[in-house]
Amino acid sequence: MVRNIVVLGGNSHPALVDSLCNTLGLPPCNRILNKFSSGESRCEIQDSVRGKDVYIIQTGFGGNGSKLNDHFMDLCIMISACKTGSARRVTAVLPLFPYSRQPDLPYKKAGAPLFKASSENGKKDYTFDSIPATPAPGLPQSPGLVNGTEITNRLLKTTAANGAGPVSPARTNGETYFGGNGTAAIAQSVTTPAVPTASYTTHDYENLSHIGAFQPRTGYKQWVAQAGTLVANLLTCAGADHVITMDLHDPQVQGFFDVPVDNLYGRPLLKRYIQAYIPNYKDAVIISPDAGGAKRATAIADSMGIDFALIHKERRPTKITDRQNASMMLVGNVKDRVCILVDDLADTGNTITRAAKLLKKEGATTIYALLTHGVFSGDAINRIKASAIDKVVVTNSVPQQQHKAQLGSQLEVLDISPIFGEAIRRVHHGESISVLFNYD
Amino acid sequence: MSAEMANEIKLISGRSHPELSAKVAKRLGIEVARTISLNYSNQETSFTVGESVRDEDVFILQSTATGDVNEGLMELLIMISACRTASARRITAVLPNFPYARQDKKDKSRAPISARLVANMLQTAGANHIVTIDLHASQIQGFFSVPVDNLYAEPSFLRYINENFKPEDCVIVSPDAGGAKRATSIADHLNTAFALIHKERPRPNVVGRMVLVGSVEDKVAILVDDMADTCGTLVKAAAVLKENGAKSVLALVTHGILSGNAIETLNGSVLSALVVTNTIPLGDKVERCPKIRVLDISPTIAEAIRRTHNGESVSYLFTHAPV
Repeated sequence: MVRNIVVLGGNSHPALVDSLCNTLGLPPCNRILNKFSSGESRCEIQDSVRGKDVYIIQTGFGGNGSKLNDHFMDLCIMISACKTGSARRVTAVLPLFPYSRQPDLPYKKAGAPLFKASSENGKKDYTFDSIPATPAPGLPQSPGLVNGTEITNRLLKTTAANGAGPVSPARTNGETYFGGNGTAAIAQSVTTPAVPTASYTTHDYENLSHIGAFQPRTGYKQWVAQAGTLVANLLTCAGADHVITMDLHDPQVQGFFDVPVDNLYGRPLLKRYIQAYIPNYKDAVIISPDAGGAKRATAIADSMGIDFALIHKERRPTKITDRQNASMMLVGNVKDRVCILVDDLADTGNTITRAAKLLKKEGATTIYALLTHGVFSGDAINRIKASAIDKVVVTNSVPQQQHKAQLGSQLEVLDISPIFGEAIRRVHHGESISVLFNYD
Repeated sequence: MSAEMANEIKLISGRSHPELSAKVAKRLGIEVARTISLNYSNQETSFTVGESVRDEDVFILQSTATGDVNEGLMELLIMISACRTASARRITAVLPNFPYARQDKKDKSRAPISARLVANMLQTAGANHIVTIDLHASQIQGFFSVPVDNLYAEPSFLRYINENFKPEDCVIVSPDAGGAKRATSIADHLNTAFALIHKERPRPNVVGRMVLVGSVEDKVAILVDDMADTCGTLVKAAAVLKENGAKSVLALVTHGILSGNAIETLNGSVLSALVVTNTIPLGDKVERCPKIRVLDISPTIAEAIRRTHNGESVSYLFTHAPV
């Protein structure tokens, strides 16, 4: 029994809240958390939080009829309600941190880009000049300064006054730095600013045809929002004093926060599973399905003294349409051995199923996939069912009941509530939690 | 090529209300910026800008569709943050209906002041200016440390009444004590009579007994409010007015949230018409309820954007509705 702690659960993962409360030996805080008919979240905290140490459990997962953004807003509202309710300290516990992994381009379910890169399509009339072009002698005039001074003429005059002689012949000929037909191209782009086709501004994920039609303006590489920093700032602005999460996809996310972030590891759990349930694990090979996860995988392989291999996604296609066919290369030997794929997160399951296919081709006997976060969105479940993976091991950082029901014995779920329970207990008592990072 | 080219209006539309954005853009004579928002299969929202906003005056128009408030809000925050990181000069969030405006006070223990949270979130994301219409409580402006322009639908309503009725036949009625100020303002402008309905509200979204203060005998009773949610209040108020001898009853409401069974409630009511503005996407509700009339608010929004961009006064719009 721990005193002065309030554990407040969101709607995203009630099972985890229950088992956490069991671990800590206290009841979850009574609250009403639902929606008004208008769609606004309604939150009422029914137990006192004055002077208490509040832990709010909400994982970054939407599904089973609930929405990720709703859960995130609920979390912010709960944090803010506890803060205004005079809580001593509010800690946001996010087993899976939302928006921690954002691809560079919008990808569709199959993993292919939703639209082609702009340079492919606007190649004909594309120049490197911004519009309006950088002022230079011989170029069409730029707007000039507010007081009417024309930069172009000024530049020319000072050159002459300095007595530097005529500028290089290429420029006096009226040609640009960019070669012969540069002027024509620029003049064209200045006078006819990118003929507007239909304006595709609003899209639904359902209306894929619209998304396919989306084109950035010629000469502009589209700017994709990276919401990680925003999410961190929003949590801080709502009033979170401390954040506890697990296996951040990018450990740099910790740096987005002004408040302390404890990034727990699922690694010990996965290691224990390997030792306990994989026969002859000493002869197995730990595989990282991509180069980014190599560090995670080697850490496990090193500490257990077993072999390591890496799958390298070769992205050297010349055409964007070839990206789906990008070859995967295996570095290391897996012939007639048990393979253990290790990754932090499986979303659409594309990476691990393709890795498994390759491993099978290279002669692997049994394939395990060990993941901290099994989000399994889209058609991930069907993909895994059809794949060469013999066993998928995930933690319950997101609700797994439904996945378990669909995958049956192919899925093994490890419980993270002891780790989080211990972390909460230690944070509350001001003890070090570094022991949670490296115990064996 | 003129000097003004350097800093243009960029109108960015969220997914919630493309029709309104298109109208505003048409009015301003510009195109809606090329952007795309979508949800990944793991439900995270992604937003992509397809043109440069560097050093531009960005206006992001996002209403929040009934039932999908959090989705719209999160999308707006991501859009603001994306424009901020893309070096926009100024970002103005245009929220025709301010989300969580009703959760603006700590009315019981540990109640969240979500309106304040939304205000903080908008500023954290990087909004430099807020434009909204008929805030539920104008004090919400105080939650912000950036300028908030609270526009009014009142001039549009005044025009509607003047065009459709003789002001001397009308009585302006406030359906609750909180809206008395809004209703008296309209009554004063029209120089008509005013009445008020006092109601007891035991629980949210549930309406108790109602008492009419003032006379509506043989008059057209015009109920005025800022939002129509489940319409329980409006419909009960209309019944009370009818019982007290009103010739006909109509309602003028800025934000038609119309959630839950609002449409069925309206269809079965004595209200002859519900006049709303298009601050919130109404979807198929207009087809399902023949009593709904929609006033277009986009001229007001467009004019506010134009004036804000040019550094002109916006207060003209508090009393005049652009045609």
